[in-house]
Amino acid sequence: MESNLLRVDLTTGEIKSEIIGHEVFEKWVGGSGINNWIMWQHFLTHDINCDPRSPDNIFVFGVGPLAGSGAGSGVKGRITFKSPCYDMFGDSAGGGKFPYMVRFSGYEYIAITGKAPKPVYLHICNDEVSLHDASHLWGKDTKETHEILQRDLGDYPSKTHTLSIGQAGENQVGIAGVVSDALRIHARCGGGAVLGSKNLKAIAVQGSGGIKIKRPEGIMKWSDVFRQSLDANEAVYGFKRRGTLGAVEMYQHIGSHFWRNNQGNKFRGEGITSDNWVKRFHKYSEVCSSDCFIACDAKYKIDGTESEAAKKYVGETFRRPEYLTTGSAAGALDVRDWAEVAHWGKITNDYGIDNQDLSCSISFLMEIKQHGLISDDDVANLFGHSQSLEWGNMDDIEALVESIVYQSNPFGKLFGDGPYKGALRYSEMMGQNFMKYAMYGKGGASFTEEMRPFPTWMNNMAVASRGADHLKGLGLIEKFQRRDLSQIYFGGPEAADLEVPTYKGASTAIIENQVALLNSYGVCMFHWMLDPAGYMPESYYGEAYRSITGVEHDSEMLMRDGERICNLEKAFNSRVGMRREHDTVCERWMWEPCPEGKYPGKVAADMFEPVLDEYYQWRGWDVRSGLQTRAKLEELDLGDVADVLEADGALARG
Amino acid sequence: MITVNTEYHSHFKEITGLAGDSFELDEPLVSELAAKITEKYGAKMKALLIDPRTNDLNANGTMYVDSKGKRIFIDDTLEDGETIAFLVGIAGG
Repeated sequence: MESNLLRVDLTTGEIKSEIIGHEVFEKWVGGSGINNWIMWQHFLTHDINCDPRSPDNIFVFGVGPLAGSGAGSGVKGRITFKSPCYDMFGDSAGGGKFPYMVRFSGYEYIAITGKAPKPVYLHICNDEVSLHDASHLWGKDTKETHEILQRDLGDYPSKTHTLSIGQAGENQVGIAGVVSDALRIHARCGGGAVLGSKNLKAIAVQGSGGIKIKRPEGIMKWSDVFRQSLDANEAVYGFKRRGTLGAVEMYQHIGSHFWRNNQGNKFRGEGITSDNWVKRFHKYSEVCSSDCFIACDAKYKIDGTESEAAKKYVGETFRRPEYLTTGSAAGALDVRDWAEVAHWGKITNDYGIDNQDLSCSISFLMEIKQHGLISDDDVANLFGHSQSLEWGNMDDIEALVESIVYQSNPFGKLFGDGPYKGALRYSEMMGQNFMKYAMYGKGGASFTEEMRPFPTWMNNMAVASRGADHLKGLGLIEKFQRRDLSQIYFGGPEAADLEVPTYKGASTAIIENQVALLNSYGVCMFHWMLDPAGYMPESYYGEAYRSITGVEHDSEMLMRDGERICNLEKAFNSRVGMRREHDTVCERWMWEPCPEGKYPGKVAADMFEPVLDEYYQWRGWDVRSGLQTRAKLEELDLGDVADVLEADGALARG
Repeated sequence: MITVNTEYHSHFKEITGLAGDSFELDEPLVSELAAKITEKYGAKMKALLIDPRTNDLNANGTMYVDSKGKRIFIDDTLEDGETIAFLVGIAGG
């Protein structure tokens, strides 16, 4: 396996191509693993403590070897950079057709450095790569940008696919995302602000090449069996219709939503169910990429009859909301009409901004106003005029979204980096501690879900390399109480038992390694989630990976590869000063009892410290400091990383 | 003999056309409840509810919890008057 890396220096305008050799895949697998390696190399010669919005930061796009290969497991591209909102490692996935179109153009990795003197876009048309003036695109949202580039660049040698920023990225809002084909946002960690700081509005790609596969017969056979296996699971048919919205009813039943800034954990009102969505709003299903055997994506087009609020959005068309778009609107902000929830998903995508950070920032302000901790005058000072902060009021919510996107008033400026920094800044400004109402883990905005009853999930929030996260560690053994999975992983049922801390930190460590593999293969993780025991990333997917790449790593070696990838993310964060004390969660989760649902009374503090200790122990890291040890890094063939950490004083002593 | 109530959500609700049911069981066993449900709702329900490889409840993409929120398995016993919720089990997004 070899790959091409496109390097673009926006300061000088230099564009060059490099070969990524087979030996790099042997060590870093592909996709997010190679992205991490590219970024790590960059920060050996650039100041890792740089301002993430400065030209010294790097923005890497990468796509793994299974994406677009016919493996049928979906496609995920990955962006990697130093996060401007969290000041640590940052990365984010996005699906659709853009990632494999990059492969068809002949590249799989793009590294952007420097800063263009004026707004530009990058055009990759097979081996012709060029920078162009983007002044006509500046100020446009992601949908308009995509449509203009598609129109101007045409359909030859292929249709044009884009990765672009909206107004949030242009304004370098810390929580701005990057949007693929105007539909799928790489939301997390502020990649949009990095591109905005570099004056790069978009990447447009046209590719008419193919993908080299080491053993085509191997992957054809594998994908046949995989497809038959998915077809045999009736649950997949439900997932095709509902996508991740299928989680709404389960979360409502057990109490796992994030109602009003997680003051509760159940939606109020009867309207927000996946049943109602399917009956009233679903127009047609579609496949997100052409390399997915599930096809869980879907579109809506509002005709005004679907609900009371639908009248406001007649003609609006977009993707069906995913669970977290729903959780942020119907949960965090208490929006009770599907048309408004869908509209929230659309505007955040068009502006190019993460709706998790955004909702937690808005719900923070709404809650402190609800409790009377700030006055109408205080609110007016934030907005420059009187501003209603009514839960569920979409007009109020849109005004707050625009404040942040356009950085148009003190509220927008305070909360442009999400709820953690926003709450700190506002507390300082007001001379009053409001941090009790800020929802976060490790400085990153909460995913809008109730976490308190779930110790593994909570551990994920505390230790994830990119701030609070449920897509790195994914505590599915525990949340679904899968004692069968616990048996497979640990030889006993404890990891599935919500009442004991045993194997909760271990679950995080092992599943982080597995997810690192999926992210490096370039596939969607929902296929794996539908049968986690059957579709193990290191064994089941490992066979596909070997057929495509010729990297002949067995399951044990691949798990070590996944562990190596996680360790490089950890090393990045250690270099910027993160230690055990940063691996923590917000006050509400830690100390305030879970108020309702099936598991009332739980607080993170019940099991937090023993689970965190266990996580470090399974990782082979120093429990006291949370830092990596030389022995563990050398075991992973990362002695060079240990040297860098030691020089920075970021390696565990002894 | 005991009575067990069921709640059907999302995909389960689509197949049954009902929000819930009530079953009388000779033995207080999840296995008997599963047999009665599949007998009543046919092949599609059986495909969703039972994993043919293990004959256990299908765990892939599904979730079944009792009134305390505890997941049930095929070899578990049930109490009279218990309510079991049949749900889609997926996270994230």
